[in-house]
Amino acid sequence: MKKNRPLLIIEDSDEDFEVTCWALDKIGFTHPIIRATRAEEVLLHLQSRATAGDWNDLLPCLVLLDLNLPRMNGLQFLKEFRAIESPPAIPIVVVSTSNNPSDVSTCYSLGAAGYLCKPLSLDSYVEKLRYLTHYWFDAVTLPE
Amino acid sequence: MPEANINPIQSEAPPPITAKNVDLSNCDREQIHLVNAIQPHGVLLVLNESTLSIIQVSANTESFLGLSSEAMIGQTIDCLLDNENVAALRSQLATKNLADGFAHLLTVSCVHTNERFHLFGNRIDDLLLLEFERPNDTERFSDTNQFLRLNNTIQQLRGSTSLLQFIGVVVDQIRDWTGFERVMAYRFDTDGCGEVVAESKSPELEAYLGLHYPASDIPAPARRLFMLSPLRHLPNVDYLPVPLIPENPPLLNGRTVDLSYSFLRSVSVMYSGYLRNMGAKATMVLPLIKDGELWGLISCLHHSTPKYMPYESRIPVEFLAQIMSQMMNDREKMDYYGYRSQLDQTLHQLAAALERTKTFEQALVSGKVNLLTTIDAQGVALIINGKLTLLGKTPTEQQIGLLVVWLAQQDGLIFSTRRLPHDFPLAQTFKVIASGVLSIRFSLANSDGIIWFRPEAQQEVSWAGNPNKPVEVIEEGQEIRLSPRTSFALWKEYSSGQSRFWLTCELEYAKQLRQVISDIMVNRTSLLTQINAELERSNAELEAFAYVASHDLKEPLRGIHNFAELIKLENNVHSPEKRLRRIETILSLTNRMDSLLESLLKYSRIGLSELDLQSTHIGNLVSQSIDVLKQANPEMGVTFTIQPTLPVIDCDRMRVEIIFHNLILNAIKYNDKAEKTVEIGCNTSVNPVEFYVRDNGIGIPIHYQEHVFQLFRRLHGSDEFGGGNGTGLTTAQKAIKRHGGRIWMESSENVGTTFYFTLAPDLISKKEMIR
Repeated sequence: MKKNRPLLIIEDSDEDFEVTCWALDKIGFTHPIIRATRAEEVLLHLQSRATAGDWNDLLPCLVLLDLNLPRMNGLQFLKEFRAIESPPAIPIVVVSTSNNPSDVSTCYSLGAAGYLCKPLSLDSYVEKLRYLTHYWFDAVTLPE
Repeated sequence: MPEANINPIQSEAPPPITAKNVDLSNCDREQIHLVNAIQPHGVLLVLNESTLSIIQVSANTESFLGLSSEAMIGQTIDCLLDNENVAALRSQLATKNLADGFAHLLTVSCVHTNERFHLFGNRIDDLLLLEFERPNDTERFSDTNQFLRLNNTIQQLRGSTSLLQFIGVVVDQIRDWTGFERVMAYRFDTDGCGEVVAESKSPELEAYLGLHYPASDIPAPARRLFMLSPLRHLPNVDYLPVPLIPENPPLLNGRTVDLSYSFLRSVSVMYSGYLRNMGAKATMVLPLIKDGELWGLISCLHHSTPKYMPYESRIPVEFLAQIMSQMMNDREKMDYYGYRSQLDQTLHQLAAALERTKTFEQALVSGKVNLLTTIDAQGVALIINGKLTLLGKTPTEQQIGLLVVWLAQQDGLIFSTRRLPHDFPLAQTFKVIASGVLSIRFSLANSDGIIWFRPEAQQEVSWAGNPNKPVEVIEEGQEIRLSPRTSFALWKEYSSGQSRFWLTCELEYAKQLRQVISDIMVNRTSLLTQINAELERSNAELEAFAYVASHDLKEPLRGIHNFAELIKLENNVHSPEKRLRRIETILSLTNRMDSLLESLLKYSRIGLSELDLQSTHIGNLVSQSIDVLKQANPEMGVTFTIQPTLPVIDCDRMRVEIIFHNLILNAIKYNDKAEKTVEIGCNTSVNPVEFYVRDNGIGIPIHYQEHVFQLFRRLHGSDEFGGGNGTGLTTAQKAIKRHGGRIWMESSENVGTTFYFTLAPDLISKKEMIR
């Protein structure tokens, strides 16, 4: 896999984005990271396959999706993403504060590739992200 | 032992039981309608109706019609009647209903003797049966006299003030009309036993008044038979039956003529034997029917000689019995008048208590007026939701438990007995308290209901003979036969396991109370369903609320935690500026959390307190809200337009202030135009009045319109448009709903949004308005 394919993080909270980046840096994650604060922008981009703003023209290799977003929330995004005609081959992992069982099952039934519940402690968050990157970038093969 | 079978089961294997082989062991199966014989006071002819040819005839025609029975077989009716009478007969046959019994057809004159006869007809099994009876020529009343006499009798009946007095008049009048030596009124108990309740007799006769007769004296089949015929008459107990000849006419193919409805039909030997044992020579019986049921009998006995009642004399008596049956209801209502009106009053008081109090137990048992007020019972059990509440003298809970199971097996929603230990042997142990039971069930689905208990009434009963020995065994040579009892000597017995009768008005009271209670139950059930639905909705709302609240509060909390950890971890690694920035982030997150908690508190308060409705000038209220907003943001540069005709309405002022504050704040916030305008107005031409807040702001995309009222749901980043936390519209909506109103919007992107709302429930639902 090309090392330069980016990880896309859809997250509206600046604080949360900063902490996630810090944690990824800490575990030695080297892929470029791009951020979107609006799910509907991502959808528009994927739908048109057009580059917009500071978007890399490479498609992301993995998406980390927050659920609690203004306007289009994470669940709606998953739904709309599935509705795209020939959707791009990108796994979407939900990263959320919510541990509501109905959210978890809804996400999987809408095609989420994983569900990571954000813990309170920074250490455990770092650990969880370590497992996540090991799995997606070392263990499994992502589409080219 | 009277005649029992009007419709016997036609058994195949054993030979039919007829007069030839009947005894008391089988008289309940005796096929008395196939007796093939009649009494001698008339003549019976069996004919083919279309040809009027005679198939079978009673063997006594010579003395009546002047022609021998043998000579008539195979002839047509013309051998007895002239052409004119035959024509009249044919026209009667064409018009009269002859299927349900014998009907009087005409009075004819016999060609051989010139004697006049009443002619009666009945059509059965494709055969025509004709009966000839002699008219009464000696004792004939003129029609006017008969009418005047009947009228006088009816006047006397009307004058009676109780059922017993009424029946007393009846037996006196019938004795007067008929000349029978003894006329008795006999009332059936529910168990088939009977009691002589009124008697009119010649002074030399022994009185039967007050005597009881066991059920076997007039068994159920006989009681049914009495319902069917208006009058049964046996002029001479010692009559010689007249056979029909020939015994087996070839035309009937071995069938025996069905004499079910025949007035002349020969009676069961058991019946005549019974009457002989009683010392009667002649009898006549009329049914007393009340509410369509056999209430009792008028029984006329003649002891000294046989007594024949000709047709003319029977008519007014039959008529009288029918009038009596019709008047009995009214007479009984006059009985217990005071008791009835007290029961009525109690019913009303209980119904009022049921409306007023929360539980059935409170209304029916605890009050001063309760289930034992008025009604003649010593104890009562109330069962609600399977829970037993007792009042007064009752069996134990365990005993009632058994009784309830048994009662549930009885038909119908209302049940009564005065002989519970006889019907339900387990009740023997508590018969002193509960020999009588009156019960109602509220529904067939469970055993909830009310049971009243009536104690055993120690009572002396006078039986006409030993009721436990209704038959006697007689040895006749080699044969042993059962025979009707011969002894009617007074037999005194102390009744056990019996209470006083339940009166019609008591049953009626129970029935009405049941109706009142089940109506209330239905109402309460539907109210409960409504409350449950409401509760379910508010539970679901609470669950969603708790989830959203915890989730959204956790977000800033986690941020604070993470940044504090970062500071700890990065000690001395980064510049002081960077550390300061981290601390500022933490502070801003605590501010956000505080604002969330504050909004949450406001939101929950909206639903907490009761609505405080006061007359409120909405125009003034809106102006004040705008002033408050202007003071907080002096440079917001918004043009407000307030419709001058805003009404004065009854509403909760505090909550309506919150509604306008939040809607106007929203209108100002989400607006990026240079010239911001907010318009507040209402449409008073509809009911309830529709208020609106209109802006020229950014608008809400159509897909997100349904989400804007969700708690903590923002359509924009927390730092855009002055940083809302997604509670403003949710709080406004809650305040509106608290008034019973609703909120909706019209919006288009970059043009503006209008929120509409009402402050009272819709008179008709929106759906119906569209329709």
